[in-house]
This record gives sequence, structure tokens and C-alpha cells, in this order.
Amino acid sequence: MTATVERQARHAGFLRTWVFSTDHKTIGRQYLLLGLLWALAGGLLAGAMRWQLAWPDTRVPGWGQVGPEAFNMMVTMHGTIMVFFVAMPILLGAFGNFLIPLMIGARDMVFPRLNMMSVWTFALASLVLLASFFVPGGAASAGWTAYPPLSARAEYTGVDWGMNLWILALALEFASFLMGGVNYLTTAMVLRAPGMSLLRMPMTVWQQLIAAALFLLSVGPLIAGAVMLLLDRTLGTGFFAPDLGGDPLLWQHLFWFFGHPEVYVVFLPPLGFVLDVLPVFARKPLFGHRWIIGATAVAGGLSFVVWAHHMFMSGMDPRLAMPFSVTTILISVPFAFIVFAMIATLWRGSIRFDTPMLWALGFLTMFIVGGLTGIFNGSAPADIYINNTYFVVAHFHYTLFSAVVFGGLAGFTYWFPKMSGRLLSEPLGKAHFWLTLVFFNVTFFPMHHLGLAGMVRRIADPLQYEYLVPHQWLNVVATVGALGLLASQLVLVANVARSLLAGRRAPANPWQANTLEWLAASPPPHLNWGPSLPVVHRGPYEYSVPGLAEDWLPQAAPAGRTV
Amino acid sequence: MATPSAYAAPAGLRSGPSAAKIAVWWFLASEIMVFGGLLASFVVFRLGGGRWYDASEHLGVTLAAVNTLILLTSSLTIVQAFAAAERGDEPGVRRGLALTVLGGVAFLGVKAVEYSIEVSHGFVPSAGIFWSFYYTMTGLHALHVLGGVVVNAVLLAAPRARTARRVEMAGLYWHFVDVVWIFLFPLLYLS
Amino acid sequence: MGTHRHPNYVAVWGWLVALMAAGLAASVLPGGRHVAVAVIFATAAVKALLVALNFMHLRFEPRLIHAMVLVPLLFAAVLALALLPDFAMRR
Repeated sequence: MTATVERQARHAGFLRTWVFSTDHKTIGRQYLLLGLLWALAGGLLAGAMRWQLAWPDTRVPGWGQVGPEAFNMMVTMHGTIMVFFVAMPILLGAFGNFLIPLMIGARDMVFPRLNMMSVWTFALASLVLLASFFVPGGAASAGWTAYPPLSARAEYTGVDWGMNLWILALALEFASFLMGGVNYLTTAMVLRAPGMSLLRMPMTVWQQLIAAALFLLSVGPLIAGAVMLLLDRTLGTGFFAPDLGGDPLLWQHLFWFFGHPEVYVVFLPPLGFVLDVLPVFARKPLFGHRWIIGATAVAGGLSFVVWAHHMFMSGMDPRLAMPFSVTTILISVPFAFIVFAMIATLWRGSIRFDTPMLWALGFLTMFIVGGLTGIFNGSAPADIYINNTYFVVAHFHYTLFSAVVFGGLAGFTYWFPKMSGRLLSEPLGKAHFWLTLVFFNVTFFPMHHLGLAGMVRRIADPLQYEYLVPHQWLNVVATVGALGLLASQLVLVANVARSLLAGRRAPANPWQANTLEWLAASPPPHLNWGPSLPVVHRGPYEYSVPGLAEDWLPQAAPAGRTV
Repeated sequence: MATPSAYAAPAGLRSGPSAAKIAVWWFLASEIMVFGGLLASFVVFRLGGGRWYDASEHLGVTLAAVNTLILLTSSLTIVQAFAAAERGDEPGVRRGLALTVLGGVAFLGVKAVEYSIEVSHGFVPSAGIFWSFYYTMTGLHALHVLGGVVVNAVLLAAPRARTARRVEMAGLYWHFVDVVWIFLFPLLYLS
Repeated sequence: MGTHRHPNYVAVWGWLVALMAAGLAASVLPGGRHVAVAVIFATAAVKALLVALNFMHLRFEPRLIHAMVLVPLLFAAVLALALLPDFAMRR
């Protein structure tokens, strides 16, 4: 049975092995490659925006003069790319695909061909989005949130086909991640190895599953809304047009009903990586492991009833403000618990400050900052003042960046040896971390003050506003930070290139970790395990078990090796 | 081709619904949210009152009632096809699937006739908010019917790919499409 | 794997047709508008339940599958509820 498939695999050519593969590990690497390419694009857009904001109406290197229309396009595409074409493919598509089967002891996803279709659909979505830059009128410019009437009428932005292609690209992206989500959830439900009960699955897997479920349940209304928007644009329907009987607020509700769970779809996977990294590098069990699952589920459920906190200033019925403020403050409780559980995990641990742990600690600290400003934003009276200012920009970059970059890099540096068979350089890794941490804060911390001083979002030239002129120096600081942040990523590129070309070969388990993926070779062969699947005898966090010689106890180590 | 056995879970390790069934229900859950979002928008607009809904008087209730009957009956025929597949009654499977495909095609045909009548009277999507909702809701539904017709036709045409499980899964999707219409019909035509 | 007990599919179909007729009748017969609307949507709901429980075999499936239907319905209802102030109470 297995021999037949292996024989087939050995005779597969280059295309079948690397392009049209159904192996979850290859598909994961394909998602990673696509996501990293888009990260370059998204980062360069951010660099251009920051240059324009610090030195308005100078020539941006590599672009030229950035006028207001171009700036709108950059703001829009930066957000769209980072959320849908960087965060989701890397955190869910790449890590989810690569790790879920390995961590549950399966040979692949339960639907390998559906998996391949999902990454190819994503590639198609990428092509469509890329094309949107080159059509007459350019790429979408109505914000990543695409509020009508700005997004519904071409004459308001000067963008016509770019906006239609944007909608199409997102529709394809949604289809891709729906396919992926169904695959992840079903795989975890049916393909767990013997002894791998649901509660013995590592946090990485749990968070991927909850994120997949959140996405699957929240994207529907936005798909409905996107169809409505496309028809408003092309067939003259009036869903969002008051003069035709519609209402722009309908879009906002439909968008944010999805939009809020979506930010947790982005946040939960890297939270999972950090929750798995901390025990390994503190040599201590994860504190409150089952409660963390429960808290995440509660937060996930609550995430469906907080969305209108994005709409406090939209003109919606004011009676909605109080209920949504209450639910928003409530949702901070489960997350606070998780933060405390992470701190408790570290407490009295034997901390190993390897690069993955540095990123995990960075995630924890930066997320606390972002989470705290979330409380200000979520309270309707405060939001009256700070909505749509750079205070919000600071908030979501502290939370999203800590998730996508710090959490993502915790996962990347931790699992790189498993994925590639090579070790990364520790000195380069540490340098990359500190540079990123410093430049990140230099970029985004000033934005709190800028926001409170009244700098609104999405403006191309702050100097047009007299009251912002005295604060312009903060924009310059932020831009210097941003340019430094971009440049610092070259250290990561150098590290990865050096490792792939000439790095030391990685053993199966360089970190002495307990979870199943470390049993497989680095990198794992096709079908992951040898002739038989691993058998699981315990949970994933048995570190520093009293009475044992080693401070770790793998999930698949034989039973009877407890005290 | 049957399930790649290299990927199947070791036998006897789990009971309960098959992977395919779990996957189809997850997919249907997401579809409930798509149509739920669309229908919720329509319902709240309707509850807001206004004369815009009067345009529904121009809809042909008879044709739509015929379509409702067609779809209900095709739900019967596809579940009968599944029952036949379970007892190994191949002619019964073919008959059930063929009738279902026929029903789906008939539904789309009647819908096309309805659309052409409406368009010829000037009731196009841009004619008002009622028509915007009408065309979007029935259009999205019709696209789903088309998808179902394709799946059922493929199963009909490919006997070796036609396991009882696959007929069951196709049936689940088809029933879902029927249930959506069960709500669309009264929302648009009757109230 | 197979459901060993099958409902009487033709009988279910008969009920579906009867309910459809009842709904149609309520929509054309004279009488209170509110009663008619209640009958129309009640029959629709029952029809949907009949299809879901019998044709889709939900009556034989484990609670997990029931949850996969009920949770999205609940979320869709929450969405509709929250939309009411902005769209149903303004005009």
C-alpha cells in the first residue's frame, strides 16, 4: 500500500514533485514563497508611503512623485496585500499545511488534491491582484476596507478595472482559504495518530483549527457583500447607493462582521506558535493548557459580536454603541488570561534565549502594548476622538505586527530546521531580532502621539494641516524607523540564503522538543513517517517532569516512562 | 479513483461520520453564512418598510411555484438515487440521478424564461432596490443550482467514480440548494 | 457508514408539496396579512426542517453535525438582529 505510493513518488518528475504536488509540505513551501514575495511588495509600498508622509511632495526613490491618488492606492494595496496575501498564506497556508499533519501524526492532509487546488487558486488570486496594478486606472484605491460609495463608483477614485479585479482576487483568495480550512478541520478530526486525543494536540494545531473555523463562519456575509459591490459597480444595482434605495452602512456591517473575526484568524496561528515555543525554551509545561483552549474558543465566539466597534463613528444607530463597547471590553478578558498564562509559563523556567524564544518574548511584550491600546479604541466615548487617527494605526500595527512578524518569525526560526534540513545562524538571528524590535518601536510608537494630536489616517500630506506641522518631526522619526525596519529584513534574507546554501545540516530534533514533528527527519520524507505511524502516550508539554533524567519527554516516547 | 489508501486512517480507529461527510458539512456551514448574509440584508431592508417592495407584484408566482415543485421533487429523486446506491441498485441510481439532472436543468430553464419576461418589461437589476435583491439572490442561487447540475451530471456519466458515498455528498449539496430556495420563494414572491 | 434506517422519502415529499400548497393558499386567500405571512414562513421553516432531517439525514447524524448547522444559523441571526436598528428602524 505505502510502497506503491512511494514508488509512484520516486518516478514523479520535477513538475509533479515541485509544482503540481499534493504533498502538504511542498504545498506549505509554495504558500510560503508566494507570501514572502507579496511581503516584499507590501513592505516596499509601506516604505513609499512613509517616505511621502515624512517628506511630502519629494520624489520617492523607486517611484517618483506620490500624488494623493497614488497614495490612496498604496494605502489600499498595502493593507490588502499584508492581510490577505502575506499574513494568511504564510501563517495559515504555509505553517498550517506543513505542521498540522506532522503534529497530529498523519501522513498528509485528508484531501491532498483539494490542498493542491487551494494553493493553485491562491496563485491565481495573486495573478489577478498583480494584474490590477497594470490595468488602466491602476489598482484599487478605496482602502482595504473598500467602503462605498468610494469603492462603488469609478468616478470617485478614477479606478475602474482595478477595483473589479480586486474584488475578483479576494473572491479567489476566499475560495482558496475555504478549501484549506475545510481540509485542516476535517484532517484534524479524522487523521490523528493512535493516542493523539484532541486535548493532546499542540497549541499550534488548536489555534490553526479555531482560526480556520472563524474564517469559515465569518467570510460568508462578506462574500455576499462583495457580490453586491461588484453588481453595484457593473450592473447598476443599488445595494449601497442611497439614491437607489440602498445604504452604504450595509457594506460596513457586512465587511466588519467578517473583518473582526478575520483579525483573529490572522492572530491565532502565530499565538499558537508562541504557545508551543515558550514551553520548549523555558523547559516548563504550558501553564493552563486546557484553559487556553477554552479561552481561545470564548474569544473566537465573542469575535462575532464585536464588529461594530469599527463603526462607532460611521453614523450607525447610536444605540449599538454601548452593547458593542461592552462585548469589546469583554473580549479582552480571555486574551488577558492567555497573556498571563504565557507569563506563568516563563516564571521560574530555565530560559534558553535562542532566536525563536527572543521572537516569542517580543511577541508577548509587543502584543501587550497593542492589546492595551485596544481597550481605548473599544470604548465608544474614547473612540469618538481617536477613531480614524494614527492612534488606531499604532494599535493595529502593534497587535498585527507582533502576530505576523514576531509570532511568525518565532515559528519560522523554530521550524526552519525541520522544513529545510538546515540550521540558521544564531548570531545573525539575534541581530535580526534586535534590529527589528528597535526599528519596529521607532516606527510605530510615535503614531500613538500623532493620533492623539489629530493626524487622521490615509492623508497623503500631513503638512497641509496647520495643527500637524509642529508634530511633523514624529512622522520623520517613524519613517526613519520604517526604512530601518525594511533594511533590517536583509539580515534575515542573508541568514536564510546562507543556511540553505551552506548551513549546517539539522538533526531531527535540534531543540529537544516533545511534539511529533520532531520525530520525523529534517526535512521529513514524502508520507512523513516510516512504515508505521507514531503512537502517542501523553500530552505535548511534559517538560522538567520530576524524577526523569531528561528535562523533556516526547509525546511518542514509550508509555511507562513517567515517574 | 478511490481514496488514496496511503492517507487513510488506520482501520478501526474511529467511528462516526466519514471525512467526506464532515468536509461537506463544513462547506455547507460556510454556505449558510453566505446566503444567511444575503438573506439577512434583504429581511432587514424589508422590515424597514417602504414602497420599494411593491415591485414584487411584477413577479410571476406561478412559474416560481412550478420551480419550487421541480426542486422539491429533484431532492426526492437524488435521495432515492443514494438509497439505490446503498442497496447496489445501479439502474435505480442512474434513474434517480438522471431525473435530478433533468430537474435542475428544468429549474434553470424556467428561471431563464422568468428573467427574460422580466427584462423585456424593463425590470433589470438597476431598476430599483427590489430588483437588485431579486436578481442577486436568485442569480447566486441559480449559479449554485448550475454547479449542482454539473456535479450530478458528472456522477451520472462516470459509473466507476460513482460510489454511494459520493452520491450521498452530492445529495447533501443539492438538498442545501433546495432549502435555500424554500426560503427564497416566500421571501421574494409571496410576502 | 450507511444509514440503515431510511425515512419514507416519498411520504416526506408528499408533506413538502402539501406545505407548499398551504403557503401558496395563504398568500392568495383573503384575510389578515399578518396571519398569512406567519403561515407562509412557518410552512417554509417546516419544509426546510423536513428536508434537513430526512433527506439530509440529520436525524441520524451525531450532535457534532447538528452543531455545524446550528452555529452558523445562530451567527446569521445575530447579524440580522444587529442590522435591525440601522435598516429596519430608520425609515
